[in-house]
Amino acid sequence: MIMSEYAIEVENLCVSYKSLKSYSIKKHLLLGKKSKAEVCQAVQNVSFKVKKGEILGIVGKNGSGKSTMLRAIAGIFAPNSGTVDLHGHSISLLAIGVGFKTELSGRDNIILSAMLLGFTKEQIAEKMEQIIEFSELGAYIDAPVRTYSSGMHSKLAFSITAVLETDIILIDEVLSVGDAHFKKKSYKKMKELITDKDRTVVIVSHDRKTIADLCDKVLWIHEGKLVRFGPTDEVLDAYEEFMK
Amino acid sequence: MLKRFFTDLRKYFSFSVVSAKSQLKTEVAGSYLNWIWWILDPLCFMLIYTFIFGYVFSASEQYFPVFIFVGLSMWNFFNGTLKSSVRIVKRNKPIVSRVYFPKYILVVAQLMADAFKMMISFGIVVLMMIFFQVPISFNVLFFIPIIIILMLFTFGCSCIVMHFGVYVEDLANVINIVLRFLFYLTGIFYNIKTKIPNIGEYLNNYNPLASLITAMRDCLIYSRMPDLKFLGIWFVVSVLLTVGGVALVYKEENSYLKAV
Repeated sequence: MIMSEYAIEVENLCVSYKSLKSYSIKKHLLLGKKSKAEVCQAVQNVSFKVKKGEILGIVGKNGSGKSTMLRAIAGIFAPNSGTVDLHGHSISLLAIGVGFKTELSGRDNIILSAMLLGFTKEQIAEKMEQIIEFSELGAYIDAPVRTYSSGMHSKLAFSITAVLETDIILIDEVLSVGDAHFKKKSYKKMKELITDKDRTVVIVSHDRKTIADLCDKVLWIHEGKLVRFGPTDEVLDAYEEFMK
Repeated sequence: MLKRFFTDLRKYFSFSVVSAKSQLKTEVAGSYLNWIWWILDPLCFMLIYTFIFGYVFSASEQYFPVFIFVGLSMWNFFNGTLKSSVRIVKRNKPIVSRVYFPKYILVVAQLMADAFKMMISFGIVVLMMIFFQVPISFNVLFFIPIIIILMLFTFGCSCIVMHFGVYVEDLANVINIVLRFLFYLTGIFYNIKTKIPNIGEYLNNYNPLASLITAMRDCLIYSRMPDLKFLGIWFVVSVLLTVGGVALVYKEENSYLKAV
């Protein structure tokens, strides 16, 4: 069997949100309101392929469906129609404010997150020190996460994803976190991860410079529809033109 | 679907164990007496009920404290798991919005944590049986099937409640009231068969919790064979609930994230 040269193949991906609001019984009974299933097409008929080792940037204005698409690719929810084929690669999603169980210590949260990403206990034990060291949390690692500052919070989140390497990394608006020193360090680590030639990366960002620096190809979506997909400069120029 | 259920269960089993452990850890992390509460809590309630119903209302059950403790242990397990399941997806939003896993795994973890507490409770039951010199027979072996039925029943109900809890904001209030009513209809601190005139027998048979608790008391305390017919019925119902609950979660879990 020949390994496919593509790491991510997305075909006719459609994701729609149904009845966004949860409703209360009071409203339902007193106002006799039928909860209307408002259908919102977040992503419509998007198809693209990413080669193994390629870096794809996704641009588009707020609410255009970028994050939804990342989540669909990560398998957090299944698309309404269309397919996402990862050819068996492991995948993780790095996003701002990824949460933890705040009552638990940082260490326990590392274990839980890693287990959900599909790592075994042995692998986790192996990587544990590395994660703690990278996060620079020191003794705080055994304190409950609720006592962390927001900076420490994102440092930990970043370290988990950065150290527990997966074949595909999806990055949602985060390339560097924390104070000036950690920012530099995490940006360097991120770049190292991203430019690894075996790793496939998808980046969502509003920062033109980041995308232009890192990405091989760019995908531009607008209101859930694919507008353009192609080499970085070409798409970015068209996008800038449009946003003016 | 069943095959998928078992592979998923195996795949996420160690996660549920760790998750249950850490949950138990956090529950006691802030208190002075720590895990001693798991013993102290049911013990105190048993003393209260023994005092009120044993002396004030002069209940005449044999081995009354053990009688209460058996009921309380099983009830707390069911009550605890079901109550937590209502908002379990919302509480775990950080994890749910980051990786995919079958959502009933959250219920499994909760169930394990509560089952652990129930086992501590039953440890105390054993000590009390020794203390009160309760005679035992081979019927105590029914302990195992009864616990299995109780767990299946709780799991099935919890999955269904979890599903609706995602969409219905105030389901928690409703569940609280229903559970309180059910608590009094279950005969934790009185003998439901003799104390409720006319319909007592029906309640005992057709209220699953009452049925299971009575069976447990029969086999542990009174050296009697539990009513196998109703155990059988509730076993089948529990399996159906579990299958239905899991199928429901598989079918709908995609849209959970969009609602929380």
